[in-house]
Order: sequence, then structure tokens, then C-alpha cells
Amino acid sequence: MKKFISIVLIILVFLLIFLLQSNFFEWFTIAGVKPNLLVILVLFIGLYAGRKVGAFVGFTLGMILDCFINKTIGISAIMFLAIGFLGGYFDKNFDKEIKVTIILMVIGSTCIYEIGKYIFDIFTNNIMVEIGGFAKILCIEVLYNSIITIIFYPLLKKGGYYLENSFKTKQVLTRYF
Amino acid sequence: MPVQNGLVYLKNKVVGNSSFFEDIDKLKRENESLKDQKSEIEKSLREIEIIKAENATLKEYLNIKEKYSEYEIVPAYIINKDISNYTNVVVINVGKDSGIDVNMTVIADEGLVGHVISVTDNTAKVQTITDTASVVTSTVSTTKDSIIVRGTLEADSQLKATYIPTDASIVEGDRVETSGIGGVYPKGIYIGKIKQVINTNNIIDRYALVETAVNFRKLETVAVIKK
Repeated sequence: MKKFISIVLIILVFLLIFLLQSNFFEWFTIAGVKPNLLVILVLFIGLYAGRKVGAFVGFTLGMILDCFINKTIGISAIMFLAIGFLGGYFDKNFDKEIKVTIILMVIGSTCIYEIGKYIFDIFTNNIMVEIGGFAKILCIEVLYNSIITIIFYPLLKKGGYYLENSFKTKQVLTRYF
Repeated sequence: MPVQNGLVYLKNKVVGNSSFFEDIDKLKRENESLKDQKSEIEKSLREIEIIKAENATLKEYLNIKEKYSEYEIVPAYIINKDISNYTNVVVINVGKDSGIDVNMTVIADEGLVGHVISVTDNTAKVQTITDTASVVTSTVSTTKDSIIVRGTLEADSQLKATYIPTDASIVEGDRVETSGIGGVYPKGIYIGKIKQVINTNNIIDRYALVETAVNFRKLETVAVIKK
């Protein structure tokens, strides 16, 4: 039951983020740059629900996004899959209780997602490469994502623990004893 | 006399009070009817706003139809916008069922919007000219010089004009239109005007910034040119 509620919640949050990204953040920008809330969502799913769930959810959400709005089907799906997987990796190797670590994870994930997607775009859509323009937008986007993470950290943590309780099986942490 | 005055005063007060209590019911009824009237007016105002918006949209369609009378066009709304900072793709509410196909040109009242890159039965994805993958062969209407106009990451409503002929004399304010070369965009569709010419040490590398005629942030109504 808890898993079902978690899945419904993820779908609802995804829809909310999609609406915010395509409407509200069209106007609420920093120097014309929007944040990428989906990266934060997928990262947190991977971080709290595990790498398998994170990768699966990331791939599914990315695929939906590709079908609805993106130019090439599969790029966002692959990149979100990577971010979900990365979330699980971060969980194993870093302490997610520290705010700074979380912010660094968001910065890293945003950079990996956008750089990866841009490289894919260069090869698949033959876009004009603009390193300066891309770096400028990326820096602002990373800053925007970090600010949002700081503001919504308590909520994200709460949601994260709910996912953790739903998806992760209770294990005795023998290595700590 | 003072006693009489006092009594008259008291009498007037008592009479006044009774009419005051009678008036409360009347005022309540009036208040209710005024509230009803207010909500009716608000409802009408909302309807007027909707009609105004519809009227503006229809006027826009009419302008497009008159301006591009030589083409067969299908009116459309933008129903979704790209959520990325690096690409500029919009989704419109017409698709295969309305005869829309890949590579058809999309225009707005002000000028060129882009072209269709994929279609479903009821929707179509449009790559706008501001997308970094967009390349439009164009001409400067005053001098007839051929240039290539590409989308950039720098600004929402700005394009980069490259491959400017070395002998071309392009100045700020020159109109840029589609040249018809390439087979995607028909000839003579207005793109925008030259905002700035950037000269480099090597004249071959010089480029110009083109301000698009269409405001992509506020774009809602478009039309697809059927081939």
C-alpha cells in the first residue's frame, strides 16, 4: 500500500513540476534561465529509494518527457536513468544528512545531466556549439537548483524518508557494529 | 418650554428609532439584491474578458490569413512549451488529422516561427527558429544578400546571421526574410530585422544579430502552412 501511495505521489509531483517548469518558471527566471526541478526529483528518488528505483523512475519520467516535448526520443530518458542511478551511488558513498553534501550532489547531478544532454544534442541534432553561452546558462541553472534545494530541503527530506520506508527493505547494518 | 422641547425631542427620537428598525429589513433586502447584482456583473465581466481574448485570437488568425493569402494555412494554438533552457520546441494542437506533416512551415502574425519536426494524430512538435539546431537560409530584403540565420543560446528572441558575403553592405534595421532555398521554408516570410553587425578582424567571420519579429515568450497563436 505504501509503495502504491509513493508511486502516486511521484506521479503527482512529476505533473506539478512539469506544469511549473512549462508555465510558472517561464516567467520566474534568473537572468532568463529556468531551474531543472526534475533533476532534483530524480536525484532524491535515487538517493532515498535506491539506485534501481531511481534509475527506473528516471528512465520512465525521461521517456514521458521525450515523447511529449523533446526533439529526440531517448536522450532525457538515458540521462535521467543515469541521475537516478547516481543517486543510489551517492547514498552508498556519502552522508545525505548533511545539507552541504546534498547541495553538492544537486550541483553535480545538474551538471552531468545538462552536459550529457548537450553532448547528445550536438551529435543527434547538429546544433551550433556555444561553449560560453552553455556554460553561462549552466552556472545560473546550477545556482537556481541549489537555491530551490536549500529552500525545500526539509520537505525533500521528509518525502525522501517516506520513499525510503516504502521501497527499501529494513536491513541490519552489520558493518556499523 | 424647555420641558416641552425635551419631550418633543424624545418623541422625535422614538419615532426615528422605529423607522430605523423598519429600515434594517429593507437594507438587508437591498444588500442581498446588490450582492446578486455584483456577482452577475462580475460574471458578465469574465465573459467579456473571454470574448475579448477570443476576438483577439480570431483577429490574429484573420491577419495571418490575409497576409499569407497565397498559402493554405491551418490555425493552431500552442499547448505546451519546452521546459529546457537549451532547446526551443513548442507543441501545437493540430496534427495528422488536420493534414499536418513534418517539415511544414509554422508562422505567426508577426513572422516566421519554425517548422514541424514530428506529428501525432492531434499534436505536432515545432522547432522554433530560435532553437540552436535551427538553420534558415535567408535574404536581406533591401540588398538581396544571402545569409544563414541560426538560433543561439544567448537570447530568447535573437538569431545569429552568418555567412555574410564579403561585399554585402548590411546595416542595422535591414529586414531579413526567408529565401526559399532548402525546401523547408517558403520564400519571403519575414524573420526579423538586423539588430547589430559585429565586424571581426577577418571579414569572412563577421556576423550580425537578428531580432526576431515574433515574441516567442508571448506566442500563443500560430498557423501552419500546408504544402
